Amino acid sequence: MAAVLGISGGYHDAAAALVVDGAIVAAIQEERLSRHKNDPRLPFRAAAACLAHGGIPAAALDRVVFYEQPFDKLERVLVSSLAVFPASLRQFPRAMGSQVGDKLWVLDELAERLGVARDKVTTVAHHRAHAASALFPSPYERAAVLTVDGVGEAVSTSLWRGEGTALTPIGQLEYPHSLGLLYAGLTAYLGFEVNEGEYKVMGLAAYGTPRFRDEFARLLRVEPDGWFALDASYFGRLADAELGFGPKLEQLLGPRRPPYQPWDLEGSERDRRYADIAATLQQVTEEVMLALAREAQRRTGADALCLAGGVALNAVANARLLRESGFAHVFVQPAAGDAGGALGAALLGALELGDPRPAPLASAALGLAIDPSAAHALATELGFVVTRADDIAGDTAELIARGQIVAFCAGRFEWGPRALGQRSILADARDPDSRERLNRAIKRREPFRPFAPAVLAADAAQYFVAAPNAMTPFMTTTCPIRDEHAGALAAVRHVDGSARVQTVTAAAAPALHAVLGAFAERTGVPIVLNTSFNGAGEPIIASEVDALAFFLGHPIDALVVEDLLITRAPR
Amino acid sequence: MKLTSRLRTIGQLFRHFARQGKWFMIPLLVVLLVTGLLLLATGGLSYVAPFVYSIF
Repeated sequence: MAAVLGISGGYHDAAAALVVDGAIVAAIQEERLSRHKNDPRLPFRAAAACLAHGGIPAAALDRVVFYEQPFDKLERVLVSSLAVFPASLRQFPRAMGSQVGDKLWVLDELAERLGVARDKVTTVAHHRAHAASALFPSPYERAAVLTVDGVGEAVSTSLWRGEGTALTPIGQLEYPHSLGLLYAGLTAYLGFEVNEGEYKVMGLAAYGTPRFRDEFARLLRVEPDGWFALDASYFGRLADAELGFGPKLEQLLGPRRPPYQPWDLEGSERDRRYADIAATLQQVTEEVMLALAREAQRRTGADALCLAGGVALNAVANARLLRESGFAHVFVQPAAGDAGGALGAALLGALELGDPRPAPLASAALGLAIDPSAAHALATELGFVVTRADDIAGDTAELIARGQIVAFCAGRFEWGPRALGQRSILADARDPDSRERLNRAIKRREPFRPFAPAVLAADAAQYFVAAPNAMTPFMTTTCPIRDEHAGALAAVRHVDGSARVQTVTAAAAPALHAVLGAFAERTGVPIVLNTSFNGAGEPIIASEVDALAFFLGHPIDALVVEDLLITRAPR
Repeated sequence: MKLTSRLRTIGQLFRHFARQGKWFMIPLLVVLLVTGLLLLATGGLSYVAPFVYSIF
């Protein structure tokens, strides 16, 4: 019986996760508490919050497990820098400064700042942490595990056989051959921010035609079994940390798109061409993932596939894997990217100390609770009207049915990048005007980025093809909207006819479940639009202070904090 | 910063490279470590580029 803290950080999406006696007690991304989007810094706030939630003093931890092996990472950076010398000349001092001035000492820093004995701080390999985060919280005793990201220490892609508490490696691919780096390089080429804009590329892809397959065949040579080779010469030998791609890519695909320019997919030939490039990238990504998944099934004979790594956050590719890979089940936990490495590291530490596997992950609400008393006091002080509702679900549903936009806070906040009904903004999914107002006044997203629906799990199949499935509770896949409902669900329907649907059960998100039930009673439709409770470029809201600050600055109609309905005083 | 734990980490680092038979990299490591210690001592490294998180 042990208390184990898992830590990821140093690159992007730092996080901490606490596992006690084999059970997942808390898992928190640093960005939620630091309010710095994709915060890469070591997650001391998140670690302290996990420990406080679990009532475990740091000194009582049996182990702290970091999600990566710093020496292996340093070795890969050194070897790869020397291999592409002199292309790496300009980047070398910076890369080495980052490694030797900072990352090399990460275990010492963790021990010192957490107040834990140094010999209790250990590491696991990056992709093993990913694989553990995918398999152990899944409902499957036996599964194939596929991890795909930019790069860990040296590995970018790995296959595992998962059985009970055992993870056996059965194949891997090393840097620079990386699907994640291909996607990241093209994300930068298309003018988006790396490690953040990949979702935008995925949304943009649906507007294009994949007509650049010949050009992409030069970037990536794919074998029939899914293993592939990236031609790093198109990406500046991956030696330019400013850009992420090289001049050769622009010779192949044309000039890069300048960042921060508004998109015009109807009027601009140039933007349609970029959409076609995004569509080709998405298609190539899906096909490589499919081939890898089929190889995983051939090698393991399993009927379930668990995925992790940044590429596993590609919900469109995940849908295609479920549809076409031959696996009966596909599972992607909500924080499949680097943040999830903290959970995988903690679970591996707990298993090594003799604890059992955790129960299958039923809910992503693994963060901190919100304090309605503090919200009440602060809202009153700010001059808002605060009402304690007898039937908050009914009141919320009533507002949404009347076309209002409601920010909704209930329980502990979510683990991972998706708002799943704990810190969400809700609106009427049938109403394109609500969507327009939401986008124009609050989210300010590019026009090609869709909003997502949340639906009662029991009714999901009536509206969506292939829902519910193991991914839909966590919004890590997409499902086609059934033709007969396509018109009615216009506000959450992407241009390709799909939606990144969340199926909601009372166990996973009880408050949102109640709202959906009340909305269905009023309208006959058990679906609302659910988008994350944050502004453009901000992390999702965590506390009551964040929520009220947002309410002050954005034109949403009402804020719900547990059973409090907070509205603006009439003028 | 605790000097003993840093020295222990340096020892582990050299053992890591020696175990892998990569002795030829040790002179480079020594230079890098001196640089790294200087960076630590001066509180340098205030800026890293965005893509550095993907590659390094």
